[in-house]
Amino acid sequence: MGRYLIRRTLFLVLVLVIVSFLTFLIFYKLPAGDPARRVAGHRNTPEQIAEIRVTLGLDKPWYVQYARFAKGLIPWPGFFLNKDIYYSYANFIPVKEEIYKRLPVTITLALGAAVLWLLIGVPIGVVSAIRRRSAWDRAGMIFALIGVSAPVFWLGYLFLFVFWYKLSWAPGSGLGYHVALLQSIIQGKFVLAWVVLSLSFAAFYVRMIRGNLIETMSEDYIRTARAKGLSEGRVIFKHGLRSALTPVVTMFGMDLGVLLGGAIITETVFNLPGIGQYTVQSIFNDNYPGVMGVTVFATFFIVVANLVVDVTYAFLDPRVRYA
Amino acid sequence: MKQHWRYLATVAVVALVAAACGGGGGTTGTETPSGGTPSGGIPAGGTLMLATPSDIQSGWDPAKEYEIIAWEVFRCCLTRTLYSYTGMGGPEDTAPMPDLATAMPEVSVDGMTYTVKIKPGIHFGPPFEDTEITADDFITAFGRVSSDVGSQGGYPFYFSVIKGFDDANGDPTKITGITAPDPHTLVFELTQPTADFPFRLTMPATAPIPAQAAEGHIKDYGRYLVSTGPYMWEGSENMDFSVPAEQQKPVAGYEPNRAWILVRNPSWVNERDTDTLRPAYVDRIEVAVGGTVEDLANKVDAGEIDFVYGATPPSTQLQKYLADPELKSRLHSEATGAIRYITMNLAIPPFDDIHVRRAVNYAVDKDGLRRARGGDLVGELAGHYIPDMLTGGLNQGLDPYASPNGQGDLNKAKEEMKQSKYDSNKDGICDDPVCDNILTITDKSFPYPEQNAILTDNLAKIGLKLDVKMGDRYTFMYANCQDPTKKAALCPSVGWGFDYADAGTYGEPLFGSVGIGSSNYSNLGASPADLAKWGYSVTDVASVDDMVAKCSPMPIGQDRVACWAEVDKYLVEEVAPWVVWLFDNNVVITGPRVINWTFDASAGIESLDHIALEGGGA
Repeated sequence: MGRYLIRRTLFLVLVLVIVSFLTFLIFYKLPAGDPARRVAGHRNTPEQIAEIRVTLGLDKPWYVQYARFAKGLIPWPGFFLNKDIYYSYANFIPVKEEIYKRLPVTITLALGAAVLWLLIGVPIGVVSAIRRRSAWDRAGMIFALIGVSAPVFWLGYLFLFVFWYKLSWAPGSGLGYHVALLQSIIQGKFVLAWVVLSLSFAAFYVRMIRGNLIETMSEDYIRTARAKGLSEGRVIFKHGLRSALTPVVTMFGMDLGVLLGGAIITETVFNLPGIGQYTVQSIFNDNYPGVMGVTVFATFFIVVANLVVDVTYAFLDPRVRYA
Repeated sequence: MKQHWRYLATVAVVALVAAACGGGGGTTGTETPSGGTPSGGIPAGGTLMLATPSDIQSGWDPAKEYEIIAWEVFRCCLTRTLYSYTGMGGPEDTAPMPDLATAMPEVSVDGMTYTVKIKPGIHFGPPFEDTEITADDFITAFGRVSSDVGSQGGYPFYFSVIKGFDDANGDPTKITGITAPDPHTLVFELTQPTADFPFRLTMPATAPIPAQAAEGHIKDYGRYLVSTGPYMWEGSENMDFSVPAEQQKPVAGYEPNRAWILVRNPSWVNERDTDTLRPAYVDRIEVAVGGTVEDLANKVDAGEIDFVYGATPPSTQLQKYLADPELKSRLHSEATGAIRYITMNLAIPPFDDIHVRRAVNYAVDKDGLRRARGGDLVGELAGHYIPDMLTGGLNQGLDPYASPNGQGDLNKAKEEMKQSKYDSNKDGICDDPVCDNILTITDKSFPYPEQNAILTDNLAKIGLKLDVKMGDRYTFMYANCQDPTKKAALCPSVGWGFDYADAGTYGEPLFGSVGIGSSNYSNLGASPADLAKWGYSVTDVASVDDMVAKCSPMPIGQDRVACWAEVDKYLVEEVAPWVVWLFDNNVVITGPRVINWTFDASAGIESLDHIALEGGGA
């Protein structure tokens, strides 16, 4: 296992380099626009734009520019997302400052939604599986269909309109200024966002757990467990569900990793100042360092989440061994 | 013992009651007493709760910010300048008034030396509350503006008329044209007579800065801004400029992309008699940043915020408020002095032909463009280029290409096209190959796609077939419309507003050849040599450089206004380089608490220092 972990860590570094390079190429080479021109504003001259390009280091060859960005990938104080390179082109605010400030919001959103979608998805999936073709099963599948089909942005606006604007059951979008994150949570500022974000994931998990559990329950060892006289509950939850949940663990880790990189649409709709919102702002403002920074962060979370999932898998399934 | 505890309990209760009764919106986090004194029955106090969809561009650096929403906050609240404005809505309120200056400047006979006296005894806000504002602090500010980095995205070109400014690049000692013979006198020596120079001294970039605060913050001064106005960033008193710049913590009240929080500046409160321009009724201004326009509109309806700052309400909300007599009073719409227009490149056929340009003017459905933008409330249909407020109304009603309901007049358009060399069979339809694939560069965001469709349809009826390319406003539209070598024939998504209320801010940059490559998309005044260099087959285009050169140096006054009105009339009638279609309005819906709604005509936006709250916000 030790060697496996070392290999995966090296793999993490390799993935970070590749992703950062591809991101750099996309924003450098594709005709998205010259960030110097955006910074120069609506009233500028070619000379001013050229001066800004020099100030921002955009006049240097592409490999020099990438080398400067790559230095910021080294996970060491003074290097990682250093503010000499990673700052907003328009207002010189360091990218690291923005990301660290926003990370707790994104983590809160992701974890809260994750807990909800497990609490919703697992029971509904189990009930659908063990009561196949019943009214419960059909209700579960309709829920899954709606959850999968309804876009997050649509659900978000709908929930805000109904539950905040019309019924005043929940607070509106945004977090208060200088309000502690815990206080915002207690005030219910995340509730609608959690529900909206969790619904589509829950729908997937319902279908996945239902399918896995149905398949598992038809295995020979389940028949053996019943034949031994075990209660149906014990058969389902101790023997059946454990196997059925194994792929769910994999998927959960990846989903959580992706969300920790920023739930872009949810954060935008609910005006939550997380990494997803910062990503959108950076893209629209041609803020390359911001885009690079969040991409590196998101990649880090996804790769680490994958690693955690794989290690957890080995504990769940004794047949899996890593060397 | 019991009596002792009873006594302590009584004292505690009395203290609690006293604290509870002592609120009333008059205190801030810094325990600064309310500075507002009721004026004409307008109550002072309270917190103005606003929201805006997106943050400003340049981190509140006064030398860099070039947006109305930032300039208003500087004017009303954060920065006093040598001259400033009343913040009110009348024509007279667009003239600069002494602010930190004692009086209007003394101008030399040749118009090239301006001497300004500074009011003594006025201090910066915390943490420089013990520092008097002197001439050197203005020189520090000009030094920052002269720096390429310090003013990127801003407007340093306005100060190139000061001797030595262009060569200083951040070193104020090299700006030989600004001297301080004593701490309360500034002398500006210019390279040429500049009649509107006092207007330029109203601009936020010229606000004084303590040298210690500027040190090390050439890029990011906005987050360390020291106030001179009625308000300051919350937490300003905690800024510590005694440590090296890289160790200083930015001010808490500006949280990028999250919130702008302004509280009263105690220095201004103590010296408020020196400020005759700003009543500053509210105690605190909180602006939440982010959210969609629709979501923020709902918050106004729900009473959670007082209004949305810097964004037009969605059309559904506008219709609701227009239709309800009780709500209508909370809908405000005022002319901003800005315009929206479509430029035609005079160096690209068929727009090198005046008859084609006039035909386009007749053909365009201006009302349709306005409806796409939001309807009647967003502005009046325009008929000439320079807004009436800048030309004293001398061209009011001038609209040589008027059409029924502003919806275009196809017959007149065809009649004009028949006179063009590009209509060979004189049927009113352009039939030359140059009428096909007309490169049209536009912004892709709302409402331009819909407007593009209207324009494409309008011009197709006179044989002009557009090849529309849409993209990001800054990196695509400006890049292609500004650069004459890109040969954009039409640029329809264009707007312009004045930087200060003088027609010269329209005339020179938009119509003078100096504006080519920047804001003169029509290439008016381009020389044959330049046209050839840029690869144009057209060798000669119209020019109004002579007229611009005549008006620019004229002293502020009626003659100058009349001169620019003449330029405007000549351009729209004889040259027609544009289709101007809208005199822009600023449209705002306010919540029920807002009283004394005031429009700042000098900026074209609501006046935050004049707005008050019902009952002082209690």
